[in-house]
Amino acid sequence: MSRGDGKLCELMVSRLRPDKEGVDDLTKEFIAESQEGLDRMERCLTELETRPEDGELVGEIFRVVHTIKGTTGFLGFDRLEKLAHTGEHLLSALRDGKLAVTSELISGLLLLMDGLRSILTLIEETGGEGARFSDEDGALIAELSMLRGQTQEIGEARALPVKSIAEARQIAEPAAALSPTSSGSASGVSDKTLRIDVSVLNRMMNLVGELVLTRNQMLQSGLAEANFPELSRRLDSVTADLRETVMQARMQPVGNLFGKFPRMVRDLANTCGRSVRMEFSGQETGLDKSLLEAIKDPLTHAVRNAVDHGIEAPGLRVLAGKPAEGCLRLKAFHQSGSVVIEVSDDGGGIALERVLAKAVERKLVTAEQAAAMSEREALQLIFLPGFSTAAAVTTVSGRGVGMDVVRANVERVGGSVEVESRLGVGTTLRLRVPLTLAIVPSLVVRSGGQSFALPQSALVELVDLPNGDAGQLVQQIGTTEVYRLRESLLPMVWLDRLLGLEPYFAETQRSHYIAVLEAEGCRYGLVVDDLVSPEEIVVKPLSAVLREIGVFSGATVLGNGTLALILDVGATAARAGVKPVEEEMVELKTIVAQELQEISLLVFEARSRERTALPLSVVERIESVPIRQIEYAGGRAMLQYRGELLPLRDEGNVLVEMEAEHARGEDAVATVLICGAPGGERKLRFGMVVRKVLDVSAGTLLEGDKAVDGIQLALVKEKVTVVQREFEMSTKAAWREVA
Amino acid sequence: MSTTEIEGTVEMTDAIQEESEVISLCSFHAGEAVFGIDTRKVCEVLGERDLHRVPMAPMFIGGVVPYRGEVLTTVNFRALLSLGEYAGKSCVLVLEDDEAAERFGLVVDSVGGVVTLSLDMLEANPCTLEPRDRWLFDGAYKMRTGLMVQLDPQRLRPARLAETGLFQQRTDGGTDASTDRR
Repeated sequence: MSRGDGKLCELMVSRLRPDKEGVDDLTKEFIAESQEGLDRMERCLTELETRPEDGELVGEIFRVVHTIKGTTGFLGFDRLEKLAHTGEHLLSALRDGKLAVTSELISGLLLLMDGLRSILTLIEETGGEGARFSDEDGALIAELSMLRGQTQEIGEARALPVKSIAEARQIAEPAAALSPTSSGSASGVSDKTLRIDVSVLNRMMNLVGELVLTRNQMLQSGLAEANFPELSRRLDSVTADLRETVMQARMQPVGNLFGKFPRMVRDLANTCGRSVRMEFSGQETGLDKSLLEAIKDPLTHAVRNAVDHGIEAPGLRVLAGKPAEGCLRLKAFHQSGSVVIEVSDDGGGIALERVLAKAVERKLVTAEQAAAMSEREALQLIFLPGFSTAAAVTTVSGRGVGMDVVRANVERVGGSVEVESRLGVGTTLRLRVPLTLAIVPSLVVRSGGQSFALPQSALVELVDLPNGDAGQLVQQIGTTEVYRLRESLLPMVWLDRLLGLEPYFAETQRSHYIAVLEAEGCRYGLVVDDLVSPEEIVVKPLSAVLREIGVFSGATVLGNGTLALILDVGATAARAGVKPVEEEMVELKTIVAQELQEISLLVFEARSRERTALPLSVVERIESVPIRQIEYAGGRAMLQYRGELLPLRDEGNVLVEMEAEHARGEDAVATVLICGAPGGERKLRFGMVVRKVLDVSAGTLLEGDKAVDGIQLALVKEKVTVVQREFEMSTKAAWREVA
Repeated sequence: MSTTEIEGTVEMTDAIQEESEVISLCSFHAGEAVFGIDTRKVCEVLGERDLHRVPMAPMFIGGVVPYRGEVLTTVNFRALLSLGEYAGKSCVLVLEDDEAAERFGLVVDSVGGVVTLSLDMLEANPCTLEPRDRWLFDGAYKMRTGLMVQLDPQRLRPARLAETGLFQQRTDGGTDASTDRR
């Protein structure tokens, strides 16, 4: 975490640094703009290859080159202008339909792009465009002119351009061959600046103004003043808004990073003799800029690996019964407070025996260890330093710089890497990175009289453990305690015992809590004395000596001014001896569950002695409503709920009984389930009056023919339960999904 | 209690001062003894603070304390001297280490004040000193009221203390965590 902060500072410092000599503001702006334009051009070009008839793409590329040409002429970069001019000429022929889109043409245009880019980089570094390379430009210009010249003889002149492109490629090599290391150091002005929407900046300024005003008011009014609570509330909301706006400004769509890959994959595929199609999804997923930078290299490496090692040569693929063209998927999405980026290929997968053999050969593990390894453990071996299964060292990969670097880079920013592979089917590499580095949503708990923060991202659920009947639920295996959570055994870790804290007994304490945590494939229940509050905490690094303890990932100052240590959930598991759950078992379980059509049901009692259930997904809230508040219209019970009139269903005539109670002068409170369609359409909401809520649990719907008189039954904890089908009309589609 | 002593020493040192060989120390108490640290290494003296204990930390760690947006690790000086817990509220001296660019706190019983002393009054450690004390102490000043032991902040750095291995075993608490540590 601390390193992340460092990087942030670095970012800021470099932005504050005075301009490099020789590059004035105007030129800098031009470079940044042009680089962006070229990024756009790159995307368009690779798309153009798949959709050659798309005139808009050509138009876009033309505009980019045209803009560069126009601006360079004005700034006086002749060399750049000359090259851009040639390109523009070629593109205008393409736009007018005089040329057809061929693979050679695309290659030529990509070379043009590289050429432009390398000149821009030169200008950025030296302030001049370095006329000494003009000869080499000449070759490229000739090449482009020739591409234009072949208007009539598209078909016959193939052989010639291919050869000359190969030559030209060598020229453009320095720019094109961006190895992971060099791309880091060569990142210039354009990588260190950030484009922010002016409206976002204005909003930030407004919020800062608001912050200042609130501070002034707080300083003037003492603690005792009546409006102090209101002021602190305002401060709270302003801070939250400001934080969100700053975060938003730092967020960049992952697509910016993905955009660089089609080109790379295209070149790589050509070099390795592969045929690869790329698919993207979730490009709009936002990620903090510094994190985006941090995962750039690991991701690049992963993509390289997938093309070089993952996807087989077309011949082999056809033999294996797969389409000749391999598919590389890049997918980004949010998952429980972090961003997941998946790189998956449908290639050969990782041969486990080769991995093991290699690991033994490289003396990373002993033969005995290797024999005892599970599939999951064996796959983890590829993350060890100095591991590469590439049969031959190619120019692309297999240089010994491998997955260990990928993992190290991702873990440095608090992320994690997982790999999944099935031989012959493909490999999926999953990078998981936090949304941001500095602020973490967490749950503050108390144990042994101290506060600890648990990151929400690792928290699965909370379970109340009453002191009295703990005996039934907590069971012993040897000296170890386990908790029976929905028919699976959860290893229990007592935080106070683990940390050697004095047991803390409060008179009022009636129960403990189990926080079910999951990290690095380990799942366990952490027993704590009390839950304090969910809080967004600002992570402060700990000194080296305390980091060495290995259980705390940092510390934070809580709202009340005291400190809390942040628990490293994964390391705690390791210290307590919790072993990762075999992933395969989990998978198997989910498959079984899917087959049995298990769904989560809220079980309640409406008619007396009868168990009824609703799919948990349709229940929004459970409310206790005083009977007075229930009103009647046209013989139907209604409830005014959050400015909405909800019709109430009363299957078990609970209301009648309640009214009777109420008439006797007793305070009657009805339990109402506020139900809504999963789609969230407000009109479909209604309330369901029940006697009491019993449980939330997974149940199996019985087959239709076993249903009695159109009542849908389900087995929940081996008891027959009626599933409410009143909902069917409104949520038919949703029902099909769950039922 | 300490201020009178120090005023006394200041007066005394004024008499024998020689410009080049003068050092100013921040004096503090731990147990019976008086110690001093070069004022140039002291950033700030925090008054009576509540320390947040860190479970499973080495025994010489006093806990952590918030300090200017950082979380400051503190060294419990009494633990280094194998003294029991202090009954009252402790003070924290914030020390700065130029080399490692790291700040850390030193938990002491109470802080006296600034004492200006002549280097003539410094005596080296006696050769019979125990290894632990030899590591901690950096000679002593012979004052009229007794000895003031000089400390070297460099050697008090948590990381250095951990390296030496002299202070590993836990003395306080008697918790089972000690078996967990290595």
